[in-house]
Amino acid sequence: MAAIELNGVTKRYGDVVALRDVDLTVQEGEIYGFLGPNGAGKSTTINAILDFIDPTSGTVEVLGKDVSAENVEVRHRIGVLPEGFSVYDRLTGRKHLEFAIESKNADDDPETLMERTGILDAADRKAGGYSKGMAQRLVLALALVGDPDLLLLDEPSTGLDPNGARRMREIVREERDRGTTVFFSSHILGQVEAVCDRVGILRDGELVAEDSIEGLREAAGSDGRLSVTVDRVPDGVAEAVSAVDGVSDVSVRDHTLTVKCDDDAKTAVIDAVEGAGATVEDFDTEDASLEDLFVSYTEGRA
Amino acid sequence: MSWDVVARKDFADAVRSRGLWALSALFVIVFALPPLLLFYLELGQGRPAQTEGSTDVFIFFIKEASALLVPVIAIVVAYAAITHERESGTMKILLSLPHSRRDVVTGKVLGRSAVLAVPIAVGFVFALLVMLPTSLALNLANLVLFALLTMFLGVVFVGIAVGFSAAFSTSRRAMIGSLGLFMLFSFLWNYAVNTVVGELDLGAAAAVRTRLLFKLLNPTQAYKTLVDTLVLDTTREARVTMFSLFQQQQVDQQLPSTLPVQFSDPLVVGYMLLWFAVPVGLGYLAFRDAEL
Repeated sequence: MAAIELNGVTKRYGDVVALRDVDLTVQEGEIYGFLGPNGAGKSTTINAILDFIDPTSGTVEVLGKDVSAENVEVRHRIGVLPEGFSVYDRLTGRKHLEFAIESKNADDDPETLMERTGILDAADRKAGGYSKGMAQRLVLALALVGDPDLLLLDEPSTGLDPNGARRMREIVREERDRGTTVFFSSHILGQVEAVCDRVGILRDGELVAEDSIEGLREAAGSDGRLSVTVDRVPDGVAEAVSAVDGVSDVSVRDHTLTVKCDDDAKTAVIDAVEGAGATVEDFDTEDASLEDLFVSYTEGRA
Repeated sequence: MSWDVVARKDFADAVRSRGLWALSALFVIVFALPPLLLFYLELGQGRPAQTEGSTDVFIFFIKEASALLVPVIAIVVAYAAITHERESGTMKILLSLPHSRRDVVTGKVLGRSAVLAVPIAVGFVFALLVMLPTSLALNLANLVLFALLTMFLGVVFVGIAVGFSAAFSTSRRAMIGSLGLFMLFSFLWNYAVNTVVGELDLGAAAAVRTRLLFKLLNPTQAYKTLVDTLVLDTTREARVTMFSLFQQQQVDQQLPSTLPVQFSDPLVVGYMLLWFAVPVGLGYLAFRDAEL
């Protein structure tokens, strides 16, 4: 049984298509990173998973149950850190936890959960006075109530300082080790890369890639980047470099050429630059990173 | 079924609002001021003047104030019950937890009703304490029934306000809806009814009956006549009192001496219940299908 299964999910708002025929499967026990730039449809997808919105077509199942038919049962078994939430200003952190524990018929200790997410110090303060990061920690604690089978975290690092973001990743791993499936969305690859078993990349409402981190690295091939600083940029240098075997892209800014190419083409590129009449003052190479891949997927050049 | 959890959370949240305590103060002033004045007047005379009045007199007059004040306060307490959670984003926390949308609407109606009951209860207890040392003969049963009817009126308007709050996506619209209906009930209803009945050209008896029925379909007028039933001799008299002074004699002549069942107390309570149930039901249906 899959933890999350979307089949042909399309969501239209009038003429605007927010999601286009998305098929997505999250296996039980994995950490799934859901990537995409802002506005790609990540929150729409999560809202469909939470039954906050109805898809125009397609079906959404969570833990084997249809989310619109059995939404209360589903929410008994998941923990959610939604995006764009706000806390109850007049209630303390502890009251929030007590409310969630009561709502889920759980028997968690509020203090243990607040300790885990690092908000225990502020447990008896009204949440209206919390910073964004503190509110994020509080709601993460709410999400952990009732030992959920699935954690749904929408942009969980928003507002967190580096310590908070690290704590978040630790909790995600701890929960996975206890058998919890974790689905989390982000527009920042670094957060996802560090913890995820698999990632899906969303662009303009379509799932454009879905693979393990290793798989994505392989898909990125040996494409690397080479920056070459020259004394001057002679006419035709870009064309000469483009003509080299294994070069996929050349751009020129001031006195620097940025060349995307196979690793073994780099020497040939330097030769071509010098052959065009420029003197190489400095160069720097960079391996293909997931970042490049992410950018290429999300900017539509993949 | 988790409406009780939602209701308790909602009450805990709303009861911490300063606005609620301001409302309680307003209630205390409105309900306790008239008996307080009487108390001071009598204090100047050295001894209770005459003992022919009872607390029923207080009820008879104060209902005019509560019929206006209670709906307004109920609307203030409840108009944003659901829209505020949608606008601020707390709804995302609420609906990430295992509460159905029906539980949310039910919990909100109960939570806000309890919130409204607090200032009403405080106001009454205060008024009661002030009336004890005055010359008014205490009719405790009627005072308690009056308090319960007043809370009932409040709950009806909480239902209306939560209904609008569930149906609309912004607090502004929800407030316009609730206040609009309140204005209709309090200021336009009789004029509209009289105009329509006048156009219909019914016989005198039928016209009186139709006007009475429509008056009873208005929850604030229904409340007032139910209160009058407590303190006047007959239900019939209470219904006749709904008309303006110089019409009462004519109404009295046109109404059958045995009051038809549609004007009886249980049905009047039923009309008020409809004003509670229909808005809550429609609001729920809209909220059930709403996208957040």
